[in-house]
Amino acid sequence: MPFDVSLYSVQATIILDNEGKRLFAKYYHPPHKVSDDELITSEKKQASFEASLFKKTFKLSSDIILFENKVVVYREFADAAVYLLGDLNENENLLYNVLQGLVGALEIILRNQIDKKSILENYDMVILAIDETVDDGIVLETDPSVIASRVSKPPTEDNTNIKIDLSEKGLLSAFNFARKNISDRLQQGF
Amino acid sequence: MSTHTYKKFEDIDSGTLPDKMTVYQECLQAFNASPIQAKRCRLLLSRLLRLLYAGETFPKTEATNLFFSTSKLFHHNDGSLRQLVYLAIKELCSLSDDILMATASIMKDIQGGDILYKPNAVRTLARVLDGSTIHAAERAMKNCVVDKNPNVSSAALVSSYHLLPVAKDVVRRWTNETQEAITSNKVFPQTQYAMHEHYGVNKLLTATYTYQYHALGLLYHLRDHDKMALMKMIQQFNTQQPLKSSLATVQLIRYVGKLIEEDSHLTQTLWPFFPGWLKNKSDMVELEASRTILSLPKFLPEQQMQAINTLQTLLSVPRTVTRFAAVRILNKIAMKSPEKIMVCNLELESLINDSNRSVSTYAITTLLKTGNSENVDRLVKTISGFMDDISDEFKIIVIDAIRTLSLKFPDKHKSMLNFLNDVLRDEGGFNFKNSIIEAIFDIIKFIPKSRELALEMLCEFIEDCEYTELAVRVLHLLGDEGPKTSNPTLYIRHIYNRVVLENSIVRSSAVIALSKFALIGDQSITKSIKILLKRCLQDVDDEVRDRAALSLKLLSTKDIEQAKSFIAPTFKYSLPILEQQLALYVSNADKETFVHPFDIKAIPTMTEEEAKAAEFKEKTTIYEEPVAQAADNSSEEEKVSESARHTLLQQQYAQEFAAIPEIAAYGQLLHSSSVVELTEKETEFVVTAVKHIFESHVVIQYDVKNTLSEIQLEDVSVVAQPENEEYTEEFLMPIDVLKINSSGSIYVSFNRPEGTVPTSIANTLSYTTKDVDPATGEAAEDEEGFPDEYQIEDLPVVPGDFIVPAFTGNFTHAWDELEHENVAVFNLGDAATTDLQDVVTKLIKTMSMMPAESTDLVTSSSSHTLKLFGKSIGGDKVAAIVRLASSSKGVMMKSQVRSSDDELSQMVANYIE
Repeated sequence: MPFDVSLYSVQATIILDNEGKRLFAKYYHPPHKVSDDELITSEKKQASFEASLFKKTFKLSSDIILFENKVVVYREFADAAVYLLGDLNENENLLYNVLQGLVGALEIILRNQIDKKSILENYDMVILAIDETVDDGIVLETDPSVIASRVSKPPTEDNTNIKIDLSEKGLLSAFNFARKNISDRLQQGF
Repeated sequence: MSTHTYKKFEDIDSGTLPDKMTVYQECLQAFNASPIQAKRCRLLLSRLLRLLYAGETFPKTEATNLFFSTSKLFHHNDGSLRQLVYLAIKELCSLSDDILMATASIMKDIQGGDILYKPNAVRTLARVLDGSTIHAAERAMKNCVVDKNPNVSSAALVSSYHLLPVAKDVVRRWTNETQEAITSNKVFPQTQYAMHEHYGVNKLLTATYTYQYHALGLLYHLRDHDKMALMKMIQQFNTQQPLKSSLATVQLIRYVGKLIEEDSHLTQTLWPFFPGWLKNKSDMVELEASRTILSLPKFLPEQQMQAINTLQTLLSVPRTVTRFAAVRILNKIAMKSPEKIMVCNLELESLINDSNRSVSTYAITTLLKTGNSENVDRLVKTISGFMDDISDEFKIIVIDAIRTLSLKFPDKHKSMLNFLNDVLRDEGGFNFKNSIIEAIFDIIKFIPKSRELALEMLCEFIEDCEYTELAVRVLHLLGDEGPKTSNPTLYIRHIYNRVVLENSIVRSSAVIALSKFALIGDQSITKSIKILLKRCLQDVDDEVRDRAALSLKLLSTKDIEQAKSFIAPTFKYSLPILEQQLALYVSNADKETFVHPFDIKAIPTMTEEEAKAAEFKEKTTIYEEPVAQAADNSSEEEKVSESARHTLLQQQYAQEFAAIPEIAAYGQLLHSSSVVELTEKETEFVVTAVKHIFESHVVIQYDVKNTLSEIQLEDVSVVAQPENEEYTEEFLMPIDVLKINSSGSIYVSFNRPEGTVPTSIANTLSYTTKDVDPATGEAAEDEEGFPDEYQIEDLPVVPGDFIVPAFTGNFTHAWDELEHENVAVFNLGDAATTDLQDVVTKLIKTMSMMPAESTDLVTSSSSHTLKLFGKSIGGDKVAAIVRLASSSKGVMMKSQVRSSDDELSQMVANYIE
């Protein structure tokens, strides 16, 4: 066994829906190195990989399989599944702990509702959670609560109470602002 | 575009991706607007990222525009918006230009930003910076590494790790800070869990120590050239300041493993750390430690046992992944030394019905590998106990494993056959029954003494067989094997029963099988067969009548030999080649070719024995490869089998030679060696050679590859000088022009002295170089070029080149038959550096003989006996027993070779690479 001492343990995070369609996919590679792995560079290869992976795992909650020379750990939910890919020699348990961390965090964020609808509705939080779990292949954290605690909720409402300046200068600038905006819109065909 | 289509994505249920151009326009507009609307911008950013994560990309200019607009959002101070801005910038970095301009805003956040997005800022910084700009961030990075907040510290350490390839010398400046980070005690601030109201059932931790993992990973790379420092580090983190993070411990074990791999003398020095790891509270650590111990050769057997015991307990934990990992390691060990894991048999047996298919497959194949001549019977019994509970698909895997097992232990064929017979009676689909029949066929083929028992079982099987196809196959086999048994009449009755009772397809194959019995030479049998066949002439089906009539006609001819060649031919055509040739013939566009009929004589034939040798090799290699492939489920692509590839290659050579009149005149190609490398793979010219042996000539094919991109070679030839003067050069075919990045073949032909004469051929490559115009890729017309020479390695012609691997069902018998024995003893050198399995694999290759009695697998680390069998191209049989023993004086090898030709055996015995 070659002793791989690199910290780049996770090769990809993928979320697919119940038809095998991609909801999220990120194939990791070190940011300052050029990768020649086809799975990372070729979009087409990724799509076919995901399609066959889905076929192999759909409705088979078996947590782990070896697939195309990779260790794949996954968790299936009602109409979505979360996958993590690692090297064939990667510690299976390490990968699974990462997956558990991520899934646990998603449960907190989505209030125990991991399904396609809530993933898409809260896409911003989902991707932040993934980003707080794995950083370009390096495991950042495996504890669900800690991961979730790093994910911010979207701002509740936009701040619209702009102070209205009623002096002559203020009105002029408001007029100019309106004129510019209206002409912009007209040019764009609205 | 109407609003209906481009707003469709907002309906979540449809799952449609947002329109790319719409998102682009909206992003630019909203991000540049003033004042910035945080909620809307965060929504737009998440749509943009959704596109990127779905695999969409933007052209460079558009991506750069997006990058610039996104960086405008730094003006807004909402933390939750900023977090997503950082994520977007991280993703856009690889797509756009001028990413450096974001540095100032990021640095501002790192120095004084909110704790919510400070770690995000640090991690984004690593994408924006490169080797030349990292200096500016040195101070900030150092501060972050030692930051009290674990998130910030981790972010800085991971970022430094990402930057290692481009700025190792700069990162090295915070080695001390990194070291400090490992040992420090960082806890999460009180406010850490303020974001969400509910954290489910999870316990809220005050510290996870994951930063230890990151710091350790970074520190290793900063110190990797200093072995002493590394040893000290390992010592320190084990005894004085034990690591609190399991991830970090796993990483530390990997470093220990690597140290031992590079210098195996350290094995025992480092062993004392392992027992603690093997009893760690985390499965992850236990697995890593066990795997490390079991994959390194220098651990003592009792130390390996400790690791196996740990795995044994892991086999019964509830977590699937852990069971999977443990059984996977054990499976690997089972291939090399099955005796070691027999202690786990009980646990493995309970895993056979595991809910995870991969786990149960691993368990079964591992169990079967632990089979040895003592426990095989018991194992087979255990397996037959659970056969009813598993699915057909699985049963096939088990049957395959049983098949290989019985080929490995020919003595145990009786219990194996009984097992197969039992399962044959069970209910099952076609594929399942087919695999059983295949297994029985193989046992009959390769274990001659099993024949009568197995045939009897098959006879019973066809009495009540629902699958026509299988009945036909069995009848065919009965026709082939039945006449060879001591009591052939027994089978005649069974076969004739089929004629009476079955459908027309089975009847016609039964007719052919019957007629084969008439050829034994016993007049009374022939007579009764003829009577039976005559009855078949009244059959309702014309195919049956035709076959009976043909057989009767052939049997009544005077020339019994001719009848034999029709009814039971002794040789077979090589099917892959026949197929290829026929396809070529049919697909030829030139109508002229059809003037000549297809020439069947061009297809090489194989005698039964040769075909068996090829088949046996294939069957047993399946066993050597990790059966995990079955669990792997990925081997959907059809693989060309090893032997078919070999024959095709041989065929390809033969075709090439047929096109060269000089070589075609040499007659049939007798044997081609495997490819020998004469240069390193990275040199300017890569040369490999293949030796082709003909009746009285040797042709060396030098394949030359020009890897240069500026120089073209012309008039490339090889000056080849055989050491032995009995070889005389006949002709040489040079390559006229070898263009850039192309390859070609040079043929050098020698007259070959009779018999087996090894020699060594000294080679020099000679050629004329010409510069190539990089624009056109052609050499200038008027350039003369420089003649040059290039020394390449010598090519040995070894006895193995004159030997073809052959199969023998009974090695001892073949060995006793051969009279001329020669013995030679060699010392292969230091035992520590020589792996017996490597030696054995190499021997099989260089001697070009077939290992018998599955002695090609080394089971013990101290000694091994290898039995080899082959045939010289002249037709002489060669058998060899090679004994290897490893002792303090080094690895000793004693090779005993017997052959029907004295000279040959002497040659083979004394030759060693």
